[in-house]
Amino acid sequence: MKVKLRACIAGALALSTAAGAANAADTIQIGAPLELSGRFVAFGAAGKRGAEMALETFKGEVNGKKVEFLFRDIQSDPQAAVASINELTEQTKVKYIFGPIASVMFAAVIPAWRQQKPVWIGHGSVTTRTEEEVGGERRFFHTYPYAYHYHQTMSAGLKSIIGSGKKIVIVYSDDAYGRTSLPFARQFYKEAGFEIAGEELVRQGAADYNPILTKIRRLRPEALVTLVQTSDLVTLAKQIKIAGINIPYLVDGLDVLLEEWQKAAGDAQEGWIGLSGYIHGMERPASKDRPDIFPSLSDWEKRFRDKYQVEPTYLDAGAYSAASLLLMALEKAGDDPDKVVEELEKLNTETLVGPGRFTKTSTGGTVHQAFESLMIAQRQNGKSIILYPPEVKTGEIKARTE
Amino acid sequence: MILQLLIDSALLGGLYALLALGLVLSFGVTNILNFAHGEAIMLGAYGAFWAFTLWGIDPLLSIPIMLVVGFGAGFVCFRYVIERSLDAPHLNQILLTFGIGLILQNAAVLAWTGDLRSANPSYSMAAINLAEVFIPVGRLLTFTVAAALAAILYMWLTRTEYGRASRAIAQNERAAKLMGIDTRFVYSLVFAISIAVAAATGAALSSITTITPFIGFHLLVKAFAIMVLGGAGSISGAVLGGVLLGLLETTVAYYVPEGSGWAEGVAFVALFLFLLIRPQGLIGTRVHG
Repeated sequence: MKVKLRACIAGALALSTAAGAANAADTIQIGAPLELSGRFVAFGAAGKRGAEMALETFKGEVNGKKVEFLFRDIQSDPQAAVASINELTEQTKVKYIFGPIASVMFAAVIPAWRQQKPVWIGHGSVTTRTEEEVGGERRFFHTYPYAYHYHQTMSAGLKSIIGSGKKIVIVYSDDAYGRTSLPFARQFYKEAGFEIAGEELVRQGAADYNPILTKIRRLRPEALVTLVQTSDLVTLAKQIKIAGINIPYLVDGLDVLLEEWQKAAGDAQEGWIGLSGYIHGMERPASKDRPDIFPSLSDWEKRFRDKYQVEPTYLDAGAYSAASLLLMALEKAGDDPDKVVEELEKLNTETLVGPGRFTKTSTGGTVHQAFESLMIAQRQNGKSIILYPPEVKTGEIKARTE
Repeated sequence: MILQLLIDSALLGGLYALLALGLVLSFGVTNILNFAHGEAIMLGAYGAFWAFTLWGIDPLLSIPIMLVVGFGAGFVCFRYVIERSLDAPHLNQILLTFGIGLILQNAAVLAWTGDLRSANPSYSMAAINLAEVFIPVGRLLTFTVAAALAAILYMWLTRTEYGRASRAIAQNERAAKLMGIDTRFVYSLVFAISIAVAAATGAALSSITTITPFIGFHLLVKAFAIMVLGGAGSISGAVLGGVLLGLLETTVAYYVPEGSGWAEGVAFVALFLFLLIRPQGLIGTRVHG
């Protein structure tokens, strides 16, 4: 009886394995280890929405072959992320990876990715550690700006808008983001001719910024540059507003243009300057060569809203664009990773978040970088006014007065 | 600057004391370290945030609502979950409350996503300016709530029958039972009050901090430190511990270069050194007034 039962189980397993293999042969599988729960859930959710919507645009197939994203919840936990990459590459044998997004998750999965080196669309991670570790790999395609892209663009943009020679103070947090960004902020603001009058370290999750604000008040800077996490920027922005410090220009990175930051900061958002590759409500025409994939931004936003009942973010638009680039390469190359790499290298199309073209970064550290072009905008009366670059400008900068 | 430092220290101390009040009370009487205390604060903050966003109820008016809701939830939670672990080893109790915390945290993610929230009533960005110093109104109100709750808890512990009963249990549970005190009911009552205080704390914090489902653990760590500094189980110790920690952190932030980044580390080193000298904390006995 036991022997029969074992035989039945073995048979069923063999059948299911064979069915799985047959399914894998008919389907192009893309591993998508994303932060679908835990502290980075907002990142992972946007990545999933972007990938899902891109696949929907391609009607779920390329050249008659079904495409499937194998979403795995890495729970915003580095160990779970490594386990997911191992499962996807070693057992499921996927040839393509999309995700994770948060820098810390990225860093964790690099050794596991090296085992099989599937084609990796890295739509996330701003730290240069990623660039140092995998930027030179031919199968790695980074579709998100590094931290230095922010400071490069912001310092150049501010110089052109308010002029150089201004006195600035940098506030940075004691985490990886703050510490890795600081040298780049120093370098690019100095190169742009700004005088760095002070640097203030703050603790991640601090409840009270009054001590540093008291010090900053005495330095009388013309601009304050912050390198802190989004949640800390809410508290900091509120406390700057409460303290009534007269700093004409308050400058951050991506956070200022995130709807959730704007809602949480309330009136304290007024005057803050940030940057992004996508600003909600901006105009961008459809791609000339692939309007079916990259329609005008307003059309795409409408489709997104209809599907998800929320407003899209930079991560949504970026994830959609990055996933679409992979699907376009699969469309041309078929299910052959080496050919897909070649096709990705050849791509040159306008996407929702800028040119979809992989080039080497200015540092030379990443051989395949896309979507590093950013726009500077200021929050004015609850709206994002684009200030830079001049060709997309929608208004003039306003200095804060308290 | 010294006057501003003292004001900032007092306001931060008030906030810290508020974080620790409920935790100190429940640990002092039930002897259970509630690792879900931070999540109770988080839920209180969400409650006040949604009441403000959906119905325009001011976070300050949400405080009594959160007290009632927190009391009910705490009572039920104790009666049906925590009570079963009263005689279990401490490790089991810690794992149980830690598990409850994880469930609450993930339930909050499912219900409200991980997006940042913060209530923004008109006074949250107002300040009282007095010559060279300024006092943020939102944090002044939090300080007032802390002072009021500490005073109410003190009065309850010293002037009411159940308060005195809970102190008796904290001193000697067996003797209290022999005197006819229904210890299980008092435990439930004290735990419910501690959750009510945590939920009210969350409501008070909803306009001065950023709310996410993950804020609980960070708050809990701070509350534990204050409890240890003040003396486990002492309400006045929690207040004193909170103010002392607030003063230490603020002083370091003001006078040490890059001090805001080091403030917490320096404060915890000071806490460590203090405990070497006085391991029972500032006021080191179990619950008393």
